[in-house]
Amino acid sequence: MGLSTIGDNQVARRVEDEIFRSGRDLRGTGFRTLMFSALAVSVFILAVLIVQVVVDGWPTLSGRFGDFWSGTLRSRSSDDGLGISQGLKGSVWIAAFVAFFSFPIGVSAAIYLEEYAPRNWLTNTIDIAIRNLAGVPSVVYGLLGLFLFVKTLNGGQSALFAGGLTLAILVLPIIVITSAEAIRAVPSSLKQGAYGVGATQWDVIRTQVLPFAAPGILTGTLLSLSRAVGEAAPLILVGAITGRLAARDSSLIDQLGERFTAMPIIIVGWVRNSGADEGFGPAAGAAIVVLLALVIAMNSVAVLLRGYFEKKRG
Amino acid sequence: MGESFVQLPEEGFVTRVIRRKLQLVASIAIISLAAAACGGSSDTSTDASASGSGVSGDVFISGSSTVEPISVRVAELFESIEPDVFVDVEGPGTGDGFQKFCAGETDISNASRQIKDAEAEDCAAAGIEYTEIKVGIDGIAVLTNANNSAVDCVTFENLFNLIGPNGEGTTTWAAADSSLPDAPLDIFGPGAESGTYDSFIEIVLEDLAEEAGVDATTRTDYNPSAEDNIIIQGIQSSDTSLGWVGFAFAGTESKLLEVDGGDGCVAANADTIASNEYPIARDLFIYVNNANAEENAALRAYVDFYVTEGLDTAVAEVGYVPLTDAAKDEVRAGWNG
Repeated sequence: MGLSTIGDNQVARRVEDEIFRSGRDLRGTGFRTLMFSALAVSVFILAVLIVQVVVDGWPTLSGRFGDFWSGTLRSRSSDDGLGISQGLKGSVWIAAFVAFFSFPIGVSAAIYLEEYAPRNWLTNTIDIAIRNLAGVPSVVYGLLGLFLFVKTLNGGQSALFAGGLTLAILVLPIIVITSAEAIRAVPSSLKQGAYGVGATQWDVIRTQVLPFAAPGILTGTLLSLSRAVGEAAPLILVGAITGRLAARDSSLIDQLGERFTAMPIIIVGWVRNSGADEGFGPAAGAAIVVLLALVIAMNSVAVLLRGYFEKKRG
Repeated sequence: MGESFVQLPEEGFVTRVIRRKLQLVASIAIISLAAAACGGSSDTSTDASASGSGVSGDVFISGSSTVEPISVRVAELFESIEPDVFVDVEGPGTGDGFQKFCAGETDISNASRQIKDAEAEDCAAAGIEYTEIKVGIDGIAVLTNANNSAVDCVTFENLFNLIGPNGEGTTTWAAADSSLPDAPLDIFGPGAESGTYDSFIEIVLEDLAEEAGVDATTRTDYNPSAEDNIIIQGIQSSDTSLGWVGFAFAGTESKLLEVDGGDGCVAANADTIASNEYPIARDLFIYVNNANAEENAALRAYVDFYVTEGLDTAVAEVGYVPLTDAAKDEVRAGWNG
């Protein structure tokens, strides 16, 4: 008995040794190393970028962060009033526009496409069109915003609402696609089970589809929010200000009709100025760190919400 | 599993209803705002608490990114005496600025060159009359290493041979231009996105390129940088380097070459640039919309401040060459008259 147990162990060990013996699976090891180096390169580049930006921005971040937070656009980097308050305001407004316009419209469109719309050439065409729209360069949306909102709606004057709506439209296709994917991933057995016990289509969507798809929808929408907050090109076209924006003391509603700027625009402007005025370099670095922190915070909310809804889903 | 499915959708449904209601409110707000914004931007309500003459209103400036820092600096100084005037400045470029200006969208257009005939025609067609005000001068310095004693003065022809497209591939000064010494050639300059790059081509290379029948551009094998301090560092890195930057950013570490634009060698300094003797310089302008200035006291006050305090302090503060006193007087007379 004892002997055979020892024998089994030996056999098991020998089999194990044989499987994991170095040199047996050379191509596998090579593949694994390749995949690992790809990951290492990505992480390394990311780390270098972050370290570089933090080092660049450190003089500003450590020296005068309070003033930097509440300051405005200035002509010279040595000005004590230099800061990002106007850019932060603009970026928060843009995020609000995306949340209020793109989220409801995008998710609703996805629900209709996936749950109600018949599968025919028309919906297929729409599906393909939305996918292509998601890949359209952001500058093109800037042109759209320029003509639709700035020229047509606002008589040629750039305004915060034009920037907000332009970015809301920019991320709309992304929200529709990610939400549709999440809804499509709901197991059909779940829906059929609900129909089986007499649920209507409305009941099924409300009690089965949406709760199951919620984590995926949320992740997609919040990632698109980060995308909108980081975009510069379309905002430049709709006339976001890089030079000087007067520090008006206007109400929230009035701000919508006024000229605006946003974090990425401030960064572009300061990097440009850093050639003539070196002090803008650290300021731009600090602004990038703030924007990065903002985006990472929003992505973390996405991760947390996803975890929360996945737990609820059980 | 089943229980959570019953609870969750209720929350989701309620939030969705709230969101839709908010969305409705927001869209109504935006549409009414858009309508209000179309009415125009000049706000003429007066505020007695202002410390200056008490004017209030909005001024919007677009145009050259080179002139932008001057207009911004003037606005900052102006703000401290007229807190109720709000000045916004953007810098998409001189051409884009005139497009907006001649469409009546801006009060002032910054320009790093004079208005072109085609642009002036656009303005005339739109019934826009303007006043041209010269505010300062931007010189372009040609630099080499302080240790380079072989070259003191370069002609436009030298610069065209060294930096123009025909210099492509040459690695010594002599190979590019036989009249120059046989020493390694390392060129540093601003990239194509820069206004200084454009001006250099326009002033130095364009005519010679046309004569030679080549494109008015630089050679592609030089070291471009958007940052002036990187260009300066490059100049320091080689004993026989060559480069060009805005005069305000030339610094003292490098040797500024004299330039011969056809009338003999001229050293680059604030005096020769202000007097137009130094050949690689361009005038900086602002163009003011006359009708808007008539209507908008804030715009008038801003330009009044620009031609006095602005010309005296702001131009030099942001690094450009101020006008001579005589030229300032002429500008002031032109604006006030």
